[in-house]
Amino acid sequence: MSKPVLRPGSEEEWEALLHQLRQTPPAQPRPFFYARVQARLAAQSPAPKAILLNWVRRPAYVALLGLLGLAMSGDGVVPPPPAAPHPAGPTARLPAP
Amino acid sequence: MACSLPLSFAFESAAPCTAAGAASADAELLAQLQQGSEAAFRTLVLRYQDRIYRTAFSLLRSAEEAEDVAQEVFVEVYQTVGQFRGTAALSTWLYRLATSRALQHRRRSAAKKRFAYFTSLLGFDNQVLHDPPDHAHPQALLEGQQGLHLLLAHIGRLPSQQQIAFTLRHEQELSYEEIAAVLHTTTAAVESLLFRARQTLRRHLQAPSHHV
Repeated sequence: MSKPVLRPGSEEEWEALLHQLRQTPPAQPRPFFYARVQARLAAQSPAPKAILLNWVRRPAYVALLGLLGLAMSGDGVVPPPPAAPHPAGPTARLPAP
Repeated sequence: MACSLPLSFAFESAAPCTAAGAASADAELLAQLQQGSEAAFRTLVLRYQDRIYRTAFSLLRSAEEAEDVAQEVFVEVYQTVGQFRGTAALSTWLYRLATSRALQHRRRSAAKKRFAYFTSLLGFDNQVLHDPPDHAHPQALLEGQQGLHLLLAHIGRLPSQQQIAFTLRHEQELSYEEIAAVLHTTTAAVESLLFRARQTLRRHLQAPSHHV
């Protein structure tokens, strides 16, 4: 009767198999693992937020936005010129005699 | 000696000497990481990359997926170390991330495989289904290692918790206490998981097997 290849029935055989497992050459990541982690981190950086912040921080754009706001905000922004004195006319009151 | 050196000199070997030395070195490293030190992050990666990669590889048996999981673990550490309150050891946290990420990967690839199978049955696409490449354990590739190859195949079929406990114990050589910390459980529960895993493995390995 043929015996199967593996029959770790006894404690010794089982322990030998576990020992074999512990003695296996350890699997290792490929070289430059840290560089690949760094690249992955860079790829996951929050780009949209940074773009928005850079945009807001540009002084030229901020000034332009301010001017546009002033231009579109209506008459209330610029105060009306002071009223000129009315010239003397027919309706002007005559000085009292 | 690496454990007495400052971070900048501990890059390459970065392996603390004793358990107490490792704990204090990790505590110092954690403090530096939480201050946003790039040097500390580099030290962390160099110190733990092999252990994290091996853990992922033991659970996935795929070099590509193990690499992916290991990268994800370190990216997550970098992004969330500020929220880590130090309730567990740094190594425990890393092993936790590695095992949970590896299991997530396994579930995702199993789901993808099922989905691809059903779509192929329904005729939505005509792609040929390929099994992922079977990267056997390096030692199992050697001649005369059939027993080990069978053992690894059966470890891969254990329930998740048993598989993690067995792998951390017999491949990473963690103590029962360390495994309990990783699995958020007690040492008694770890003993029970390991006992059941061994029973299952021995039963399967004793049975004559023609196909794995």
